[in-house]
Amino acid sequence: MKVINKLILVFAISFAFVGCEDFVGGEINKDPNNPVSVPIIAQMPAIQVAVADVYGGAFSRFNCMLVQQVEGVARQWQSMNQYTGLTPNRFDAAWNNVYENILNELKIAQASARDQGYNHYLGVLEVMEAFTLMNATDVWDDMPYTDALNGAESINPTFDTQSTIYASITNLLDDAIKLFGGAAGGLVPGSEELFLAGDIDAWNRVAHALKARKAMKEDDYSLAMSEAMQAMTSAAGNLAYQYPDASAAGQWYRFNRDRTGDLEFHPTMRALMTDLKDNDRLAAFDQIFTTDHTYMTADFLQELITFREVQFIIAEADFRTAGGTQAGYDAYLAGIKASFDRIGLGQAEYDAYVAQPEIAPGVGNLTLDMILTQKYIAMFLQPEVYSDWRRTGIPALSPTNGTVIPVRWDYSSTEYLFNTNSPSEAEVSIYNDKVGWNR
Amino acid sequence: MKRLSLVLALVLFGASFALAQKTVTGTVTDESGEALIGASILVKGTTSGTVTDLDGKYSLSVPEASSTLVFSYTGFNTQEVEVGAQTVIDLVMSEGVSLGEVVVTALGVEREEKALGYAVQQVKGDEVSRSGASNAVDGLVGKAAGIQVTRSSGSVGGGSRILIRGVTSMVGNNQPLIVIDGVRTNNETLLSQASTAGTAASNRLMDLNPEDIESINVLKGAAATALYGTSGSTGVILITTKKGAKQNRLDVNFTSSVGFDNITQMIDLQSEFAQGRPQDGFDYRGSETGESGSWGPRMSELEYATNRDHPNAPGASAFDAEGNYLYDKNGFLVPQGTGNGIPANIYNNVDPFFQTGMTFTNAISIAGGGETATFRLSASDLKATGVIPNEEYERKTVKLASSLSPIEGLTLSGSVNFTKSDYVRVQQGSNTSGLLLGMLRTPVSFDNTNGFSPEDAVDQVSAYQFPDFKQRNYRGGGGYDNPYWTVNNALGFEDVSRTFGNVKADYKFSDWAILGFNIGYDITTDIRKQEFEINSRTNAGGRVQHNEFNTQQYDSYFNLIGSGRLTDDIGLNYLVGANAFSFNNHHTQTRGDQLVFPGFLDLSNATAVSAFEDINRFRSLGFVGQVEVSYQSLLYLTLSARQDYDSRLGDPTDFKLENTGFFYPSASLAFVFSEMINSGGTGFSFGKLRLSYAQVGSPPPNAYSTSSVFVSPSIGDGWGDNIQFPIAGSTGFDQSALLGNPNLTPELSTTLEAGVDLRFLNGRLGLDVTYYRTETKDAILNASLPRSTGYANVWLNSGEMTSQGIEITLNATPIQTNAFSWNTQVNFTKSESIVNKLAPGIERLFLAGFNSAGTYLVEGNQYGAIFGGAYLREQAGTDTDQSLNIPGGQVVINDDPTSSEYGFQAVDPTQRSIGNPNPDFIIGWNNTFSYKRFTLNFLLDWREGGDLWNGTAWALSFFGRSQLTADTRQEAATPIAGVKSDGTPNDIAVTRGRNYWTSSVGGFGAVGEQFVQDGGWIRLREVGLSYSLPAKEWFKGGSIGVSGRNLWFQSDYDGIDPETSLTSTGNGQGFDYFNMPSTRSVIVKLSVNF
Repeated sequence: MKVINKLILVFAISFAFVGCEDFVGGEINKDPNNPVSVPIIAQMPAIQVAVADVYGGAFSRFNCMLVQQVEGVARQWQSMNQYTGLTPNRFDAAWNNVYENILNELKIAQASARDQGYNHYLGVLEVMEAFTLMNATDVWDDMPYTDALNGAESINPTFDTQSTIYASITNLLDDAIKLFGGAAGGLVPGSEELFLAGDIDAWNRVAHALKARKAMKEDDYSLAMSEAMQAMTSAAGNLAYQYPDASAAGQWYRFNRDRTGDLEFHPTMRALMTDLKDNDRLAAFDQIFTTDHTYMTADFLQELITFREVQFIIAEADFRTAGGTQAGYDAYLAGIKASFDRIGLGQAEYDAYVAQPEIAPGVGNLTLDMILTQKYIAMFLQPEVYSDWRRTGIPALSPTNGTVIPVRWDYSSTEYLFNTNSPSEAEVSIYNDKVGWNR
Repeated sequence: MKRLSLVLALVLFGASFALAQKTVTGTVTDESGEALIGASILVKGTTSGTVTDLDGKYSLSVPEASSTLVFSYTGFNTQEVEVGAQTVIDLVMSEGVSLGEVVVTALGVEREEKALGYAVQQVKGDEVSRSGASNAVDGLVGKAAGIQVTRSSGSVGGGSRILIRGVTSMVGNNQPLIVIDGVRTNNETLLSQASTAGTAASNRLMDLNPEDIESINVLKGAAATALYGTSGSTGVILITTKKGAKQNRLDVNFTSSVGFDNITQMIDLQSEFAQGRPQDGFDYRGSETGESGSWGPRMSELEYATNRDHPNAPGASAFDAEGNYLYDKNGFLVPQGTGNGIPANIYNNVDPFFQTGMTFTNAISIAGGGETATFRLSASDLKATGVIPNEEYERKTVKLASSLSPIEGLTLSGSVNFTKSDYVRVQQGSNTSGLLLGMLRTPVSFDNTNGFSPEDAVDQVSAYQFPDFKQRNYRGGGGYDNPYWTVNNALGFEDVSRTFGNVKADYKFSDWAILGFNIGYDITTDIRKQEFEINSRTNAGGRVQHNEFNTQQYDSYFNLIGSGRLTDDIGLNYLVGANAFSFNNHHTQTRGDQLVFPGFLDLSNATAVSAFEDINRFRSLGFVGQVEVSYQSLLYLTLSARQDYDSRLGDPTDFKLENTGFFYPSASLAFVFSEMINSGGTGFSFGKLRLSYAQVGSPPPNAYSTSSVFVSPSIGDGWGDNIQFPIAGSTGFDQSALLGNPNLTPELSTTLEAGVDLRFLNGRLGLDVTYYRTETKDAILNASLPRSTGYANVWLNSGEMTSQGIEITLNATPIQTNAFSWNTQVNFTKSESIVNKLAPGIERLFLAGFNSAGTYLVEGNQYGAIFGGAYLREQAGTDTDQSLNIPGGQVVINDDPTSSEYGFQAVDPTQRSIGNPNPDFIIGWNNTFSYKRFTLNFLLDWREGGDLWNGTAWALSFFGRSQLTADTRQEAATPIAGVKSDGTPNDIAVTRGRNYWTSSVGGFGAVGEQFVQDGGWIRLREVGLSYSLPAKEWFKGGSIGVSGRNLWFQSDYDGIDPETSLTSTGNGQGFDYFNMPSTRSVIVKLSVNF
């Protein structure tokens, strides 16, 4: 019997000692590996890499395929190249990244920056939001925004028109510019800010560059000109993310490595550049898309908005408002030069190229077609080329299938399915429904 | 040495129990005096026993002290005889049904089978071991109604998924709880790579030596498992292991077997057309072009050339310094009549690649017992090589079970099991290093072996690699790994060390009060290393990835049970108890990328190293009570209740114990109506009705679901590999896409079960039918949100599901004569789970798979519907089409003449439910024929229906490798069945060649519907012939036999054996995407006893 008594005792002690509450309670159900809150500096790199990766990923691939810089030749990309494969689910990853990995993170970080009065930090976050919103609405037109990003509180966000979103972009950029002009307010962006290492003057110029990019789509060329004049003055001020190496490689390198042979250089762009005897740049771009491609490298510099884009904006705005002055012509050449610089081509190659009268015909002889064709080449793999083509029809392209090149992206399949406030698939045509500024 | 001496000491210790024994002999006959052959005689309370021989004679050594022998024989009343001083016991057995069968029920409580108001089914250990399966789960196929087992991969050491009564949880675990000797045991499958790629994975029950299993009891419904609470809601497999018997001299058993495995079937591939595509001039495109498809010219129109001046000669980079063509020693291919006249070889890169796998198993056990103690020590060793070169599986087990009764009424017992499992695995599935992915895509014009025999090519580096370490494959170094490269340079190693067991103390105060205490532990360390050599097509820079999983489970029970009779008519059983359970899985991963030089796959050779830790833990407490009241042998009523507390319901920021608690009851009734009927002479011997009702609550399936967290994100969009923080010295955090919910409550399922158990002809014929219906409410699921909310999912109590099914077991002994007997058992299973509701506004929920076809929960559909792209139909649904099923009407054909898909099926913009992976029913038909000392058994396994998405065929149609594409490309142009947009019959004639199969309705296109195929089968799961060796003096008999597993099957599926699952043992089933083919096995086995 003694043994039994001991056993009961041991059991009773073990239960009493632990106690129900302690056994199942306390921090047992607290995730030890993932925090419930983090400071802005820990969020910043994740947001920025996501911004760069989405821009250089889905946005670059789809947009540059539609404008025939790259061609889908195998597997899923073959039918996407024919437009038939551009079903809603193909846009899921981009949509998800934009809302979940960028806009929602920016919202959380901005709330924290605003609460703590980190004004310059808030400005940087606002510029990134404006940048992302503009990319998104340029391909998706109306989207959830004012009612979005509320989690389970609002599970069917309503869609805002593109003009509402464009107005918000203006507000965000204006507010950022105002904040950059004031006191930093405590924490300032530092090395965790991977694009410009916390250089607020550079961010201020980026905000103006984005306003210029936006004004072009709104056909407000004089505003575009004045904003462009306040933008970055050299490629050193480009908004860009430098991928380190193959361990975290650029989007195109990863695509070419993991989906070898699906996308290749497009014959349309090859013909266009061959006609212009643009042989040096063509040699840089027109290689088989593998990890050996010398432009689409592991340590890719993913540009988001650049000095050369601003130069072409100046050239175009000048052409449209003043009919083509010396300043516009200089900007046009500076844009071409910056493109040669980006690829690592030297002064000699540039000089030889612009020696051709059809490239550099002199002030007064420049045409809109030349400006936008050079912009198209200089912005190889930059998603903005799709907006430029929809805006201007330059360069002239023939559909790869059917009679119309898609003028927008479809919404993601998950939005159609899960958001009762989304339009239905049948109500959206990627061929006919031009986005707001393109109507 | 230490270990060996320990073993020796234990053996000697055991031998000392070998007390005075004596031999009892006798003859067993029926009432007419005919000898009964194969009647079983057991020493009561032990596992020691024998069976009668051809003359009905037996000889058994029994302990000197008072023992009782139990005589049993199918169709006869079981009888117990006190041995006393007798040395000869002749017994006349009377026909009748045995009603006193005792079965083990929840918490190890032994109950009379007839008292149970719910279905349980027992499978004997030797039925599992004779199946030849090294995984106990595989050995259960067809042996009990209500069970569904699916082997995930033909890779040696690949795991299996088991379900009892289909699925009960929407997103949580659906596999049954495994209880070994009273305590919970880990049967998890841990994946360290994407579920659609990586290597095959084990289920941890594979660590149990099947020879250690005494019996397996399958507790199916909620009433049967109520005492296990939450974790028993998916059914319980109760495994009782073999023990030593008291007062029994030493028994030694030695078992040895050798098995031979070969692959079963493969998808139908074409061998007519070469690599290439339609182009100007010559359509052949050699490896140096990187061409992926086999849309080139006929092989019969090609011959070799070595002259580099030939107009079709490839460029200089396709030749080595000596001017030899790099990709084929015979030269490059040119049009017939322009080369050297040697016709092109048609290379078979598939069947010869596979080898005969071999499995060697040796097991020994030593058991015995004395007056107060027993022991059983067993050890086993399994060594297997796979059908895929370089795949290996080794398992070593040691188990000691012992008990001690130091004083009257007290029993202390315990067991220790140690298992070491090692695996070498090859990449499979959806990744460019996947073995079959590269193998099946290889055109017949390319030789993966580079001229070597397949056996030699495995060890010949020049078969798969050039001197500069670039891969030699059919796409000129791009594309996919050469299979011979994969089996050498992309291997996964797993090293599992596991110990589990229990310590138990029972004290019997009286029949009315037995106190029990049982603590179980289960500790598994699983250390993995996955290698990718430099120039791997998945990780071109090379990668070494270490994963370490450490899983610890502790399970303790405290029970007070008692039983007795209140009056002559009324009996009472009761149980009160408490249970504490703790689970902790600690996973760390260290990954090294971008190796500096080839040939050294080690972290020190990596230039980028990243790591993470992931701890998953929870605890639960349960308090149970159960009362059974019986009236005569007629009525048995059981009532139980359980209160659980589970940490997974706790909010760490505001913990309240009451929020984690939940209560649920059950009741069951058994009515033995045959007691009320005078069945004399009718052949009807037993009849029972069963009725039960049970509720069971479940916590969230995952820990930490009550809070929202930030995670270190993985960034990308699904086309190239994602990149992971830290990146170049920066860390990053991102709000998790999954929103936590502090207000979660337990989900609740309610089950009604009714059944009838009928036996005739003294039990020679038995029929057991069970129907059940389970309603699940407030199911916890990670409901999908539109991403515009900023999140992908939120944990909600919102699901509703109804599961119902029928199980029928028919047992019969149609023939039983002195020399010959035939036993047969049919197990029929039909179960169906319908998703009634997910969450407000949400019609589907992703489980697993791909963008083109995935498994989802879809409202109104059966669990885990295959969901994907469909053809457009006349009555095209809109997104208001709630069911998401394929709409009615004919397929609409694209009749836009400017379209590149003119004349092909048009694509429905809405993805739909295109298949149901759940079988319509499953039948297992078991037969055993005994003739004298020979036993022949076979098991037919029929699985009717159950769709599988044939992703392999989908992809191979794009590449023009499947026979289907060889046939369709040669057909005359005909209109595809369907209607044009104006509703008139389609008259646009097309040939389904490369344009078709690479379009949006072909491989890699937007439509998955055309490759959903019936994955049902009829198969000869087991067949065996054995001869039982007669006992002689010190030799206590044994058996020698040969058996086959999976020797034949019939299926409409055009691919590998449809018993396969890309996503391993998880909830998303129904996918085949370059899965490893299954195997058929022949096993020769010898078992001897001393």
